[in-house]
Amino acid sequence: MRTTFRLSTVLSLLAAVVAALIPLVLRGSSYNMVLVTTVLLYAVLATAWNIIGGMAGQLDLAAWAYLGLGAFTSGTLLLRWNVTPWVGMFVGGLVAMAFGFLVGFPLFGFGVKEVWYALSSSALVEVLRVVFLMWEDVGGPVERYLPFHAWSWYHLRFGSYVPYYYIMLALLGVALYANYRLRRTKLGYYLRALGENEDAAEVLGVNARACKMKALMLYAFLVGMAGAIYANLYGFIHPSFFSGVNSIEVAILGIVGGMGITYGPLVAAVILVSGREFLRSSLGGQLDALYLVLYAAVLIVMALFKPEGIATLLEEPYRRLRSYIGGGDKDVRSDVTSV
Amino acid sequence: MQSIVQSLINGSMMGVIYALIALGLSIVFGVMNVVNFAHGDFVMLSMYSTFWVATFLGWDAVATPLITFFLLFGVGVLTYYVLIDRTLREVYVTQIAVTVGLQVLLRALAQVVWKAQPRALTQSVIQGNVQIGPYTILFSRLISAGVSIVAIMAVYLFLMKTWPGRAIRAASDDLDAASLVGVDYKRTYALTFGLGSALTAIAGGLLMSFQQVDPTMGVRFGLLSWCVLALAGMGSIPGLLVSGVIVGAAEGLAMSAWDPRARSLIVYLIFVLVLWLKPKGLFGRA
Repeated sequence: MRTTFRLSTVLSLLAAVVAALIPLVLRGSSYNMVLVTTVLLYAVLATAWNIIGGMAGQLDLAAWAYLGLGAFTSGTLLLRWNVTPWVGMFVGGLVAMAFGFLVGFPLFGFGVKEVWYALSSSALVEVLRVVFLMWEDVGGPVERYLPFHAWSWYHLRFGSYVPYYYIMLALLGVALYANYRLRRTKLGYYLRALGENEDAAEVLGVNARACKMKALMLYAFLVGMAGAIYANLYGFIHPSFFSGVNSIEVAILGIVGGMGITYGPLVAAVILVSGREFLRSSLGGQLDALYLVLYAAVLIVMALFKPEGIATLLEEPYRRLRSYIGGGDKDVRSDVTSV
Repeated sequence: MQSIVQSLINGSMMGVIYALIALGLSIVFGVMNVVNFAHGDFVMLSMYSTFWVATFLGWDAVATPLITFFLLFGVGVLTYYVLIDRTLREVYVTQIAVTVGLQVLLRALAQVVWKAQPRALTQSVIQGNVQIGPYTILFSRLISAGVSIVAIMAVYLFLMKTWPGRAIRAASDDLDAASLVGVDYKRTYALTFGLGSALTAIAGGLLMSFQQVDPTMGVRFGLLSWCVLALAGMGSIPGLLVSGVIVGAAEGLAMSAWDPRARSLIVYLIFVLVLWLKPKGLFGRA
């Protein structure tokens, strides 16, 4: 590309500007701010999941296990030792990462993969939930509320949800950038080879175990950080954070968005999670879970009829836009999916 | 000591029902190579069907499989034709995504139809217990275990001695060869999936005779049956029975000797250890 500005870069910047303006449009309405922050949270989780799931092809169903670890680490550090969540966030990410190492080391070492990896990771969430329920010193059945502060950057507690939105947005930027950069490194190519065909990749000399470990740890770290922010957003920590259903939802977003496409999970999270919340608020009054029925039906239909991901639906408009601007060349398709 | 033995007895009888549930999963996974994440939710659905049939017809829970068996068979066949058949040629991730979506769908449907509060039936007509030395054996548990064993044997005979059963086994061994000698794979697969979910109807009826049901229990039964299946390995029906009893007994032991909340902990511990140390299971043939 000889042009100084790539269209994809311009569009990314445009999206970032639009995202940054959303709180101004919503004028700080608490309900809407929690909603858009939740969308961002799922976008972060699914984007991080894309590394282990989309690229490396390991169907991890334990996202909220790492989220819970991050939340409990940061929350406990604040409650016990008054450590600022800015530090707790990183410690939480590291704890989640260490846990990912402890889990991945034997699992990948013993060659557990595909459905068995998915099931064992799913079991992991439940194990942690029970452990934290029984571990009265840190968890226990009662919510542990974080101290209230009207506006304290040290405690990461605000009377408004707007700061959390921007913090989550920043983390989303980090997660997207990690995905984007990873695709262009040796590890990224190895991971995608593993995702395509693990046996073939191993024959060609890819160290499957080491690569999957790195992917899992990176994913766990990002999710652990998101967990620390999540705890502060809601102002408490509780073992129900270790939610199997929510973890499964993260994986579904990653799959439906488009496995391995950098912005796929983001698109899926924006469309589906906000759609779900819209259904919840418009149907919620009459029938408790009707929105979930519709939501699940949409997920099934998408998985069946658009298995390559909804993000690929954006290819055609992108190509049009590109040829309209005139910078278009022949191989646009590979360009957009590799963004 | 006495309470430990007692919990082992209770757990083992429970484990036989787990084996029955896992048998349905094992047939579907073994024959079609389809990973059904929604299997536990079929159990949940069976328990609610039992609740309905028992409430409207005034039957005892243990008798309801006479109706719910066919109901769940229909649900299974329908699921196969509407969803599973379309995923057979897709990568496994799509398959899992679809059955996971089904899991979310069934759970949400149950919440809409039956609300979130647990449902239970009035006491079954099967009452009383038998005393062996210091140990109590509840008749309801004993009969559940007995019915489960009979059902497992019936499935075994069905697979070994009848033509549809042989078609299923042929399809599991070599689908192409089976197709060549005239096995219609779609019908065979539909039958397999229907049978797999119909078996949960028997388990559901038995479970409802002594416990309650709520929309979230599907996840627990799903993972439980995968655990039993992993422990047993593929292709051994007696192995499933032994594994079910091991898992059930371990669960009972954890609940009485450690903490009632630890029941799932011990199950997952077994599950993960088996995957690490004995990925083919204790009785696996392949």
